Amino acid sequence: MTRRNSSGGLSDQAISRRSFLGSTLATTAVLTAADMTVLDALQSPAMAEELKRKDKRVIVFWLAGGASQLETWDPKPGRPTGGPYRAIQTNVPGIQISELMPKMSQRLQHTSIIRSLNTKIGDHGGGATLMHLGRRDESALKLPDLGAMIAREMGQIDSAVPDYVAFYTATEGRGGGTGQSGFLGARYAPMFLTTESKPADLSLPPGIGEIDHQTRADLRQLLSNRFSEGRKSSSLGSHNEAYARVRGLMSSEQLFDISGEPQSIRDQYGPTLFGEQTLVARRLIEAGTPFVKVSRAWWDSHGQNFETHLELVTELDHVMSGLLDDLEQRGLLDNTLVITMSEFGRTPNINASLGRDHFASAWSVSLTGCGIKGGSVYGKSDEDGQTVADGEIGAAQVFATIFHALGIDHEKEYYVGVRPVPLTDPGTEPLKEVIA
Amino acid sequence: MNALDPNKLKVVKEVGRPGVLLAVAQQPASSRLFFGASDFKVHDFDVMAEKPEPVEYAGHESYVTGVVLAGKYMISGGYDGRLIWWDTETKQQVRSILAHSRWIRDLAATPNGKHVVSVADDMVCRIWDVASGKLVRDLLGHDSRTPNHFPSMLYACAISPDGRYIATGDRVGKNIVWDLANGRRLATLETPIMYTWDPKARIHSIGGVRSLAFSSDSSLLAVGGMGQVGNIDHLGGLARVEVFNWQKAERTHEFAGDEYNGLVERLAFAPKDQWLLAAGGDNAGFIKFFDLSASKLIKQDKAPMHVHDFVLNENGGTIYAAGHGKAVVWSLDAA
Repeated sequence: MTRRNSSGGLSDQAISRRSFLGSTLATTAVLTAADMTVLDALQSPAMAEELKRKDKRVIVFWLAGGASQLETWDPKPGRPTGGPYRAIQTNVPGIQISELMPKMSQRLQHTSIIRSLNTKIGDHGGGATLMHLGRRDESALKLPDLGAMIAREMGQIDSAVPDYVAFYTATEGRGGGTGQSGFLGARYAPMFLTTESKPADLSLPPGIGEIDHQTRADLRQLLSNRFSEGRKSSSLGSHNEAYARVRGLMSSEQLFDISGEPQSIRDQYGPTLFGEQTLVARRLIEAGTPFVKVSRAWWDSHGQNFETHLELVTELDHVMSGLLDDLEQRGLLDNTLVITMSEFGRTPNINASLGRDHFASAWSVSLTGCGIKGGSVYGKSDEDGQTVADGEIGAAQVFATIFHALGIDHEKEYYVGVRPVPLTDPGTEPLKEVIA
Repeated sequence: MNALDPNKLKVVKEVGRPGVLLAVAQQPASSRLFFGASDFKVHDFDVMAEKPEPVEYAGHESYVTGVVLAGKYMISGGYDGRLIWWDTETKQQVRSILAHSRWIRDLAATPNGKHVVSVADDMVCRIWDVASGKLVRDLLGHDSRTPNHFPSMLYACAISPDGRYIATGDRVGKNIVWDLANGRRLATLETPIMYTWDPKARIHSIGGVRSLAFSSDSSLLAVGGMGQVGNIDHLGGLARVEVFNWQKAERTHEFAGDEYNGLVERLAFAPKDQWLLAAGGDNAGFIKFFDLSASKLIKQDKAPMHVHDFVLNENGGTIYAAGHGKAVVWSLDAA
């Protein structure tokens, strides 16, 4: 089976999800709705081990609006900028995080905290673009974002599940969190879900049963095959691929339905929309979707920063720890990279509304799971969190590290015409201290 | 004619302090004040001195959000969940107890100084015996979670001038009046407008009941907070006060605000209920006076800073306030 190579051709080196499923489930063609029993099959130890070895996944928690590093990954207790929340010891000696994250504090062996981002852009739109693309956008060339690049590198051309799914339910800041596939084309654009956690228009029309639908597909395929006889055209292949993909996506509808999950699992993620969408994210990556972004907006706490973070960090702590436990129990954590990031952090200075404002000069992201040296901290902010004291990096290094952790060459080049466009800006190096 | 007139309100002293002053208590018949602060300390100084010389009491491990005087003690409470007893003469710590499992938001003391009550985000109101430091009673009635599954917060408490009643107010606008002697719940009053849940744009909340005060005869309970907020990134709601005849569970007054945005952080009735005083703020601060008999706003003015707390002196003519980066003294004295 095949995976696209960097110049748009196909490589036979990669093992696709199709072959993986085909060899293990003895299936052919695309999955049907009935085939979604694969979810159960994937829970078997053998299947999970196979998936762990061959396929890697990414879940991004996009903390839109700008989460405070001081109330999450880089507390400064006792400093004038530190706020009221204390730091707590994690299960990794020498590493403390905010007391608002007691559950994550006991799971830090999986996580690397990066405390030295200086991304220099303090407006929502510019910061969001930077942290989606890993570099500044260009006016002359629409660049792909992280999800599109990973979908391109790790998705399968005949995938029955979407390659890139993005949730963003809140309306504030949604424009900065939509994602873009840029020159990679619409094939790698996210399936973007807003008001509902389930995609619209995947269900069969009323009156059309699954057998009817399959029969129609078979007829279309028969006619298409006859038409193709004696003809050679790339557009014909693309035409059939598009049908197969739509058929596959329709069969993935139940991935978005968590009603059948055991209550204990649902409790693990919690009752909030963010928790429910994260559970869907786990179902998607388990079924083969390589990249899911769950946006949690809106963290822009210019007033009442500590109340806002009490709500949102408490929720993040519960949802993220629940996800990590679930992934670990399913043997998927080693193959799934879980990322928390925002467009920027928040000011160490506390304003008169007891708020914190936009701050890009010294803030934090976290990387957990696949390919990551857990229980580590990279970089350091100064004692008040005003500047980076050690290990200053930008968005590009974070992206290079993500690619490296996933086994993707961050220097790989796409070609737009004759112009080479590398995955990360030339000269960027991954953070070796963060890589397992 | 009353010599005290809100329309003669003037700032008579400002004292800059680093950080945020979150709470204040007054040594009776003096201008010696105790401030709870964001540097985890209590600051003790004579605010009217030409050059105030603060004495700092260290003992808390987080923001000090409540200070009260009870008998010979000053008691402070903080986000570290601790209550600390201090001797105001020796300025030494007398007792420190872990009083709550989460952040203490407010304290109040009975007029006779025998009891102090504390409220915290464990959603418990606790009555303490000042002399022994023993827990007298837990008052349980506020939900730990908001209807949207987020942690709730128990922000405010007050004790009636006759020492018989306790009022508590939480994040979602629920207020409860309790019998201090036996812990019975006497009334529940809802002020839901003070809690803004944004289900669509930002999917979290802001607001809550931030201040409570009983009238001199204990019959009225004033509740302070902020009205509904459009953009909950900011304290953008109008400062709001509602007043209840709590025994009848009737709302008698509603002051929805007209000019100043932000939270009403503290309320107090003048000694003879001539007016109800409110102060708070957003990025700036305000002070307001309401005449309840006429159901009208008498006076409002901009404060030099967001006011987190204030205390009235014995005749109600001097207002000592704690806020963002400074302490302020207002006077209503015609002289």
